[in-house]
Amino acid sequence: MEAIVQLSGVSKRYGEGELTVQALQEVDLTLERGAFAAVVGPSGSGKTTLLNMLGALDRPDAGQVHVEGREITRLSRAAQARLRLQRIGFVFQAYNLLPVLTAYENAEYVLLLQGVRAPERRRRVLALLERVGLAGLADRFPHQLSGGQQQRVAVARAIASEPALVLADEPTANLDSRTGAALIDLMVELNQEKGTTFLFSTHDQHVMSRARQLLLLTDGRITYAGNYAGYALLP
Amino acid sequence: MSLLTLAWRSIWRNRRRTLITVSSIGLGLFLAVCFIAFADGIYAKLIDDAVRIQAGHVLFEHPAYRDAPAADLVVQVDVALRRRLEGLPEVERTKALVLGQGVAKSAAGAVGVALLGVEPAVEVHSSPLAARVEQGSYLDDPDAAEVLIGAQLAAQLELTPGKKLVLATNDVHGDLVEELARVKGVFRLGAEEFDGFFVQVPIGFARRLYDLGPDQATQLGVLLRDADDQPAMQPRLAQWVDPRQVVVRGWDEVMPELASYIRVDGGSNYVLQVILLVLIFFTIFNTLLMSVLERRREFAVLLALGTPPARLRLQILAESALIGLLGCLVGLSLGAAVAGYYQVHGLDLRSLMPEGATISGFAMSLLVHPRLTLELLAWLGGLVFGVTLLLGLYPMQRATQVPVADVLR
Repeated sequence: MEAIVQLSGVSKRYGEGELTVQALQEVDLTLERGAFAAVVGPSGSGKTTLLNMLGALDRPDAGQVHVEGREITRLSRAAQARLRLQRIGFVFQAYNLLPVLTAYENAEYVLLLQGVRAPERRRRVLALLERVGLAGLADRFPHQLSGGQQQRVAVARAIASEPALVLADEPTANLDSRTGAALIDLMVELNQEKGTTFLFSTHDQHVMSRARQLLLLTDGRITYAGNYAGYALLP
Repeated sequence: MSLLTLAWRSIWRNRRRTLITVSSIGLGLFLAVCFIAFADGIYAKLIDDAVRIQAGHVLFEHPAYRDAPAADLVVQVDVALRRRLEGLPEVERTKALVLGQGVAKSAAGAVGVALLGVEPAVEVHSSPLAARVEQGSYLDDPDAAEVLIGAQLAAQLELTPGKKLVLATNDVHGDLVEELARVKGVFRLGAEEFDGFFVQVPIGFARRLYDLGPDQATQLGVLLRDADDQPAMQPRLAQWVDPRQVVVRGWDEVMPELASYIRVDGGSNYVLQVILLVLIFFTIFNTLLMSVLERRREFAVLLALGTPPARLRLQILAESALIGLLGCLVGLSLGAAVAGYYQVHGLDLRSLMPEGATISGFAMSLLVHPRLTLELLAWLGGLVFGVTLLLGLYPMQRATQVPVADVLR
């Protein structure tokens, strides 16, 4: 299988002096295209930092990050923005929908930036909203939607442009277990239907059990990489 | 979802802040429009009254007269020249004046006065004095031995229309001459310089008094339809005459005190406008910056989604532009409505200043008509809108420098 992301010796440190936190320490990681993987670990173990490195939202102090074979740590801000726009989708824990846009417009936003023509945008966004179960709520603004509905819009926004990689930082953390499970179902279906690579962080045992690949981060190092069954046997 | 729509919705997310900013811009512009329009109106009226009482916006006089005014320093009032002048579209009318100093005497006393020999048929249509006659009537016969005097002078010399006074002066030969004249009317301008020491006589009578020829006058004045034409007309008319015999002057050279008052007062008004605008601009900048700092998370999300920094900058610029545009619309509309209303109807200040007001020796009209022009609205609106855009540059830059990972953490 082809590697979609590759981290080689990536380290990242925050703060100075006694307040220094080593978020990532010489992390090596390869994720294959079409993977459905979860990053797990205690709070402060470096999960979000790892996702930020992969999404070109942050730069490592050392090491290299390749996305689809391209080294991204030295790209300009504008080039990183282009990379995210074309190849990477994001789902955030706090949904982070744009409050002045409707559900439809939020899902449409990335397509608009990509210059997709209006009829095509409309076709794709309406199909997506139907796909995530929000067909009748397209004209609602974020404050008129429940948390689960907002996160579904966020997923629709993340996959609207059919990115190669979707990074989701604790996407179910603010949802009840039923809604969270439904969201993971949706992500699994999209992964299987479109072959989109998903990498998400989570604390939830039920959610991590759905991942085909688990990465355990401890103090900024990957201390386990395997499936959930193996992870469950860890002491 | 165009960028403009996104910007429009974004500025109304914090409705109160946007309303406060738009109101600040609007109020500032409204005040600026009113201040400038009223000041321009007052200056224009002052100049107009002054030039109409005296020799017009542009005048022809002897080259030596300004330095040492004397009765014998005169110009020939050529009929052909007057006709040519009055044929110009910029010219409203011409007027010949004889100027001099003298003493007005009655049984009650004697007062040193400024004598102004005028053409009654011209002055009655152009001079504010003709409209300010409160006793008797204005001069009508160009040769009659009649005078129009100010109310203060009339009171001092205990004169009323129909009574006689003696005017004493030196003629062009330097001889002391005296003439008896009858009071035709009494005016009140509200300025002591005029009401107490100013005497108008028909030009024929003045010529007799000073022993001038029938075509001679101290000044040939030109009243323009638009005072703004004066700077262009003065050099143009100067080419018509022999500079050794006649010089062409503007009203600002003839009434330097009034001109410098307008310059100084206009300058201090300008400083006030600048202070007002700086305060407004500070409010705008503060609001724009706050709106960006408060929305760091939103910008971080936009950048994370792949929004090009240039597009984000454009969005912030569009927000600044919309706020500036709204503020300008409010301010200019209000300013135009208020200044426009008073331009037509006038603002009556007489109840506030029953004694009247004088500026640089000239009575200020207390029915103030602001001077509102499209040019004023355009440059004020353009200035505020342009500066609002400039003020949006720094917040715009800040928005794209948001540390995305830190803000989203």
